[in-house]
Amino acid sequence: MLQAVLQTDTVLLPERLVDLLRLGEFGVVGEFIAGLIAAFLVANIMLIMTAIAGPWAKRKIRARFTDAIAVNRVGPAGLLIIIADAVRLMSKEIIVPEGVDRPAWELAPIVVALSALLGFAVIPMGSGIHVADPEVGVVFVFAVASLASIGLVMGGYASNNKFSMLGGLRAVAQNIAYEIPLVLVAASVVIFAGSLQMSEIVAAQQDTLISLGVVDIPMWFAIINPFAFVLFLAANMAEIGRNPFDTPEAPNEIVAGYQTEYSGIYFVLFYLGEFIHIFLGGAIIATLFLGGPAGPGPESLGFVWFLVKIWAVFLLTQWMRSAVPRVRIDQLIEIGWKGLLVLSFLNLILTALIVGVITV
Amino acid sequence: MIGVLKSMAVTMKHALKGETFTVEYPDVPPEVSPRFRGIHKFSQERCIWCRQCENVCPNDTIHIVTDDKRQGEQYNLHVGQCVYCRLCEEVCPVDAIILTQNFEFTGETKDDLVYNKEQLKSVPWYNELDPLAAREPDRGSWVGEGEDAVDYQ
Amino acid sequence: MSTLEEPEVEPDGLDIDAVHERLGDRVLDTEEHINAPGIIIRADEVEETLTILRDEFDFDYLACVSAEELPDRYETIYHLKQFADPTRELSIVVPTDRDRPISQSAAHVYETANWHEREAYDLIGIEYDGHPNLKRILLPDSWTGHPLTDDYNQDKPQVVSYKAHENPLLEHTKEDDGETMLINIGPHHPATHGVLHLKATLDGESVVDVEPDIGYLHRCEEQMCEQGTYRHQIMPYPDRWDYASAGIINEWAYARAAEDLADIEVPEYAQILRTMGAELCRMAAHFLALGTFVLDVYGEFNALSMYAIRDREKVQKLLEDLTGQRIMFNYLRLGGVAWDIPEPREQFFDDTRQFINEDLPESMDEVHDLLTDNEIFQLRCVDIGVLPPKQAKQYAATGPVARASGIDMDLRRDDPYGYYPELDWEVVTDDGCDIFSRVMVRVREVEESAKIVDQCIDLLEEWPEDEREIQANVPRTLKPDPDTRVYRAVEGAKGELGIYIRADGTDTPGRFKIRSPAYCNLSTLPVMAEGDFVADLIASLGSIDIILGEVDR
Ligand code: SF4
Ligand code: SF4
Repeated sequence: MLQAVLQTDTVLLPERLVDLLRLGEFGVVGEFIAGLIAAFLVANIMLIMTAIAGPWAKRKIRARFTDAIAVNRVGPAGLLIIIADAVRLMSKEIIVPEGVDRPAWELAPIVVALSALLGFAVIPMGSGIHVADPEVGVVFVFAVASLASIGLVMGGYASNNKFSMLGGLRAVAQNIAYEIPLVLVAASVVIFAGSLQMSEIVAAQQDTLISLGVVDIPMWFAIINPFAFVLFLAANMAEIGRNPFDTPEAPNEIVAGYQTEYSGIYFVLFYLGEFIHIFLGGAIIATLFLGGPAGPGPESLGFVWFLVKIWAVFLLTQWMRSAVPRVRIDQLIEIGWKGLLVLSFLNLILTALIVGVITV
Repeated sequence: MIGVLKSMAVTMKHALKGETFTVEYPDVPPEVSPRFRGIHKFSQERCIWCRQCENVCPNDTIHIVTDDKRQGEQYNLHVGQCVYCRLCEEVCPVDAIILTQNFEFTGETKDDLVYNKEQLKSVPWYNELDPLAAREPDRGSWVGEGEDAVDYQ
Repeated sequence: MSTLEEPEVEPDGLDIDAVHERLGDRVLDTEEHINAPGIIIRADEVEETLTILRDEFDFDYLACVSAEELPDRYETIYHLKQFADPTRELSIVVPTDRDRPISQSAAHVYETANWHEREAYDLIGIEYDGHPNLKRILLPDSWTGHPLTDDYNQDKPQVVSYKAHENPLLEHTKEDDGETMLINIGPHHPATHGVLHLKATLDGESVVDVEPDIGYLHRCEEQMCEQGTYRHQIMPYPDRWDYASAGIINEWAYARAAEDLADIEVPEYAQILRTMGAELCRMAAHFLALGTFVLDVYGEFNALSMYAIRDREKVQKLLEDLTGQRIMFNYLRLGGVAWDIPEPREQFFDDTRQFINEDLPESMDEVHDLLTDNEIFQLRCVDIGVLPPKQAKQYAATGPVARASGIDMDLRRDDPYGYYPELDWEVVTDDGCDIFSRVMVRVREVEESAKIVDQCIDLLEEWPEDEREIQANVPRTLKPDPDTRVYRAVEGAKGELGIYIRADGTDTPGRFKIRSPAYCNLSTLPVMAEGDFVADLIASLGSIDIILGEVDR
């Protein structure tokens, strides 16, 4: 039975496209094209989500928390602000400050935006949307996600601005401090699932833990090991640079950190990259801890559930922003190295115990 | 950690309540107090050209030109530089200059914000609010003055 | 001012004869200022004299330094006070030659003299011998002439060339030693609360040195007041010093000084109205201080800043009902106030009570939930940006900044005016000396202010109808006797807001000097921030609660 479910799930999006568009006859070229189309589709889904989140949802959410009214003038519920904002942002002049290191400066926003997008390739989003499923999926996703810090430091360094420089350095220090706990906590999930493959991890969470009458509590890792879940949430906040860990940007201290000097479309890319990062963080959390696309209803609804989980994480970041101060950079590093790292090792031991109990 | 959670609870409470305190200006015009001081309105009928307002104004906003028989010819007021202190209204012995609640006026250059006698006469009341109601002098002569004036009562 | 408040006798304890005896020959002559006895000393004995007064007579508080040009001389006046009892005042008058206006600096005795003397040098042109850093403070370095002198050409425009303001970094970058980095925070920066420029030298992320560079918002407020008539024309301007809602308190500072100068009594009923208005203003100002401060620590998406603005909005609505404006009130008049409570009176009382007794406690609870108990907030604010009491006194910090460093001085209680002595309230102090204390002092002061307003409302409500006198009889033109001088201060939202006026026999002041609390408080920033991190520098700056309009005037 379980095997059957798994079977349907591992049909990847490119393979489906090959079948659908009859690209099979073109051999490898056909598969390549199918892969491109699949990647294009997924990237666009993410970009649309960002477009909704950035100019519209974020403002609405913030307004809710602060008792204010937000974007409600352009279109129904202000939704057309998305188009207005897109036009506005793209038509802005790109100002290149004097003395920037041109290649690095121009590459940085692209690196930031792309690295996050790449991560989505291995995320099973339900309803059959899954571009690739390498055996080392978890490793891949963390690897590409941390590419972003290179983009940040490139932008910060190349901008020839001291605020940017500080921001870039902060970003790197922070990412190093938090990536390790992040990966360690993810490792505990891997221990559970016994695999690095994303689809396996999702599949391992499908079983029912306990049945309470009508409600079946699924075996999501967030429920089995809430400690790891909280740790991961915290480390993730730092990884995506949101309150209380938004020190690399900290507009009140270092203006906007690495993105101070960017304008026009480059700024949009940075902005985009940030949002995609938040969503990627949400996607990783959903996959590793919340059963991926699992949820009540038919399996074809999987993608909806997946989106709900991502947006829940997004909402959480905005919620934190409304109420939690930002910590100072040295405190942040301290929390990372002395707090989260130790706790994540503890978590590994805890996980081993839990796994022991379950298997016994 | 408890404190952080408590903080988050506070903001979530606000979010769930969904009350707003900002207003949708200009769709919903704000309520202003009866005493609110906005742009001036001038009544030539009442003015006795005593020039007290011109003298008291702390920053030379009012500029009066009279002929040699001390009859008024011009009454100019540079609303762009006025500080809305209401001293002119306070010293005027006949309530000929008064600050309405009207704060909605614009100009593209600062010259547009120099109002002459006629412009000052036709400043409309804001939301039909008559500032004199709050100040209780004789209202009679203010009724319907100037072309654009909102008819009183 | 009114009979309630003015102590008839010279304050106890200050034995002026003992001072004379101790100073001996240094006393050239004496003067009587309305607020204090004046002692004239020689320009080269300033440091010595002030040291004696500070160490032996407890004059630990240099409230203000005012300088002016007189027909035959230049003059610097050091207005000394005592933190323990600010009614013990003494003015040290230092005349200098017209041709060679050189006077000894007091900057080594009182740190606060540093900035005051720089300002005097900038605007009047007196040179202070031995001053550690005598350069212009409000005007650009390339300015020519001293604007408050008689022979200064007011009409000649001065363009500060781009060259004169060339990127200050350029020079520094060249000789960069690689260890430290100069960073310009401001004049345009999200956290400088206006146009303030902090020249910060960083070693990595920690602040080695910080130097506030002010004057970007200098609007010649003193000059404008010198051109206005006492009776009417000055009153609209104080609103524009600390423009973040503290208008009525500012007006009161002027009213207090001018009423002392012209010997005007204010009716009791008007005093209550003033007290209520001033406390409403203080609440609004503290709400704004809180709101902008949390922006610096939480980031721009936090909810508390908006909640603070919402509460301030409620206060402003009350003030609008009372005064007719939301920020630029122009509510006080010499000898009284402009309006009584608006009709229907009940409505106003109900609205105010609703705010004080229902809305405010609720939002104060929220503030405590969001701030006081928040561990991350404490992490950022406790024991950071420390201002030791000794330094606070040296720099003449006042208001919440001083009270958070354990200095128990509040002019409302210690140098009473208005209706405060009759009311039941407390001075809030805290020994923390850190950012957290400063924020908490403000929060608790809001609660105290609410208590005061509540009592005022009760009093106003019960006041007999035929005794509601809001304005004393004041002549249309005021011409105080020539050469009378007064320095009077009130407890502003940021600290001691003092006004020094010298009358010259006309209906406009001969010299009008504003002692701005934010100006002095800002000068403590290096003490707070040096050795801390950049983020702490920003938080410290926010916790001082500066309003650049008041700093630069
Ligand atoms: S309101 Fe004040 S500034 Fe404006 S015109 Fe009247 S007196 Fe002058
Ligand atoms: S004070 Fe009144 S009457 Fe006199 S000139 Fe001015 S507007 Fe006319």
